[in-house]
Amino acid sequence: MVFSRFFNWIRNYFRLRKDIRLGIYGCTNVGKTTLANRISLDFTGEEMGKTSKIPHETRLIQKKEKVIIESNGKKISINLLDMPGIATKVDYRKFLKYGMKKRKAKKRAKEATQGVVEAIKWLSHVDTVLAMMDSTKDPLTQVNITLLGNLEARGIPVILVANKTDLKRAKPDNIKEAFPQYPTVPISALKGKNIDELYEAIIKHARKAE
Amino acid sequence: MKLKMDFVSSVALNGKTGKKKINFILKKVKDGSILITDGVLRPEEEMDLIKETMRRIDDGFPGIEVCSLKKQTNGFRLFFEKLSDGRERVGNFMLRRITGKPSKTKLKTGMTLIGPAKIIKRIKKNPDSFSVLAEV
Repeated sequence: MVFSRFFNWIRNYFRLRKDIRLGIYGCTNVGKTTLANRISLDFTGEEMGKTSKIPHETRLIQKKEKVIIESNGKKISINLLDMPGIATKVDYRKFLKYGMKKRKAKKRAKEATQGVVEAIKWLSHVDTVLAMMDSTKDPLTQVNITLLGNLEARGIPVILVANKTDLKRAKPDNIKEAFPQYPTVPISALKGKNIDELYEAIIKHARKAE
Repeated sequence: MKLKMDFVSSVALNGKTGKKKINFILKKVKDGSILITDGVLRPEEEMDLIKETMRRIDDGFPGIEVCSLKKQTNGFRLFFEKLSDGRERVGNFMLRRITGKPSKTKLKTGMTLIGPAKIIKRIKKNPDSFSVLAEV
């Protein structure tokens, strides 16, 4: 145990770690876990987490190690990290609207706040980020702006994922216009639409953090 | 039915360390005020603000709504801004190493609104303006 920790530290210190830590970040209910499940299912045959219409379903960081993404004859080994959704507010009363009992709703809210804190702490440990946005909604939210500002300040490569393009009201071009400095891939994580283009983008842009 | 708005000059916040700035903001917002500052927090400070908000959420305080407008820079101005940022970061790092004290950072040019999520129902942001819908 002590030795493996020591060797991990040495490996990280000298940047000998082979796998890229790919974090999926974004607001709540943008489809982070749906995408994580899609990637994991495509390359490992297993799903990563449970999805739900109720916000903050993912309250703990979900990890899948050694996922080999392949596209056009190229390969990349990643550790996939599905992060809890980042939010500036968590109100347990919102969960009551989904028929949840007060006690359960309060517990979920408490866990959700801890999940947000953990996701933010992990910004120092990810190498590349898939910043997910819901293309049916306004992308200029403070969470998106703050997240991208942080990643830029840390020098972490970002791929914007404009999700939910299977919906009629989706406007992925709004995301491209709002953040023209980042590579943007419109997809439907649920239907798998354009997912190969995302894998190509991951292989092209993902790298270890400086 | 009262709504309190606090307008704070960047000078009042520039003299504070990141942690003190966040404590100052959250104390006002948790007391029910909408805070408007003539400056923008750094991205790291904004993230720390979200993190600290999460730690303080309770039944009566479900969180915050934030919106900021940054002064758009490009070309040479952007280059010099990044250079100045880098210089400040290195300076702060050295100061922290030597004195062990957390450093003070200046707000960036712009405007920020931070208010309790209980009161602020919606913020509609455009690249160079925003509108706020509040309900008391």
